[in-house]
Amino acid sequence: MNTANQPVVAGARLPQALETSGVGLACELPADSGSDGRIWIPTGVSLRIRIANPAHRARLLAAIFDIEPDPDLRLVLLGAEVNALSVEERTALRARLAFLASAGGLLSNLDAWENIILPLGCHHPERLQGIAVEVRALITELGAAPELLLAKLPEEMTPLERKITGFVRILLEAPDLVLVENFAAGLDSAERTRLSYFANTYHARHPGGTFVQLEDVLGG
Amino acid sequence: MAMIRAYRDLEGCMQLLGHVLRRLAVLKLPPIAEQLTRQIYFTGASATAGFVTRGAFIGTLIIVYVIEVLEADAALAVKILLWVVLREIGPLLAALLVLQRSGTAIATELALMQVTGEITSLRRMRVDPGDFLVVPRVVGMAVSTAVLTFYVQVIAVGGGMLLSALVVNATFDELADSFFLLASPMDIVYSLLKSLLFGVSIAVISCYHGLHPPGISINAIPKAAISAVTQSILVVMLLNVVFAYLMFGVLLFGLVTAKL
Repeated sequence: MNTANQPVVAGARLPQALETSGVGLACELPADSGSDGRIWIPTGVSLRIRIANPAHRARLLAAIFDIEPDPDLRLVLLGAEVNALSVEERTALRARLAFLASAGGLLSNLDAWENIILPLGCHHPERLQGIAVEVRALITELGAAPELLLAKLPEEMTPLERKITGFVRILLEAPDLVLVENFAAGLDSAERTRLSYFANTYHARHPGGTFVQLEDVLGG
Repeated sequence: MAMIRAYRDLEGCMQLLGHVLRRLAVLKLPPIAEQLTRQIYFTGASATAGFVTRGAFIGTLIIVYVIEVLEADAALAVKILLWVVLREIGPLLAALLVLQRSGTAIATELALMQVTGEITSLRRMRVDPGDFLVVPRVVGMAVSTAVLTFYVQVIAVGGGMLLSALVVNATFDELADSFFLLASPMDIVYSLLKSLLFGVSIAVISCYHGLHPPGISINAIPKAAISAVTQSILVVMLLNVVFAYLMFGVLLFGLVTAKL
């Protein structure tokens, strides 16, 4: 596994997690981005990319997560050329991806527990049996108190708690590619250091997975 | 332009209704079953007290007025109770009260979720908003409307009989005997079917406007609620006319007569 501090060598013989061109991207590892804005992220790494233009970020996310293809944007996800896939193949591919929005992407009328089990309950209801123990362990690992967090509604949570809730939800589904949007947004300097916990917890559970941070600006 | 919008809304509502009918099986999934329970609790259980009081009050008021104006005897009072309160006013009143309370809440809640990006979050989790938000709301509202209609009918007819016994020359027992002699199981089936359809219509229209607010600013939320209410009232009235035509066989002041 590579981390953000370990350079990723362009052209390494790792399969691609994400490759795209057509949107203005910059990678903190210059070797991975071409002069045309093309970016290539191998699997199993943890790194940050910068998309300063919000419209470009929205377009990239729509191309990754929406079922409707964007014909003007070339995108390779987990080795598959997205625009060449059928709707069924795109749907299957999406099951291997996850997105942590800056505010956690939680539903405001569900408490933390309901938010966490929502996708699992819809996609794999058989796995809900006994999941509470795993959820509590993950929340503790990410630095929050499960007995306090689980009954809270999103409006009662701190920004970090919202991110933890959203990330636990992602971890339960074990995706191959995780995109984390502006992790630092709303956090103080001490809380920002928790990001490494997120990446480490994800890689510990899913060694071959790719952890990508989407940032407005690089640095810090 | 208005016609095109109306057609688009109708088409969207029909597609949403089709989705609900196709995807009823998702109610077995735990998070969606929980949503259904909440919807029934919100529309049905938590509304019952105030709802039944209002319904009974309006129902009995109508009976007293009609009896007074028509100088009705016992037979006419019972017919009014059966035809007006049980078949017409009960389901209509329940539908309007459900619309006022839950229809507006659904349209506002879903429009807010759309504006704040929560619907997008659901899609990114691969949870279909139609499955998670629409199916339990439509089923919950249909069931709740039918149950509340029954409550309103029982209270309004019971209260109507008590009041009628005071103003017409007949005892409560006599009125009750003639009511049950005149009433048939079809009356219950008719009003149950009608209230189920009212509930489905209100929920589908409210969900449609909530999921398609006219913009992404906060101003779009009340607009979505207003569209949901006005269109729901229109559809409920229209359905009531269709049901009345099927039941009584006369539509548009006698211009159209049913041959069933």
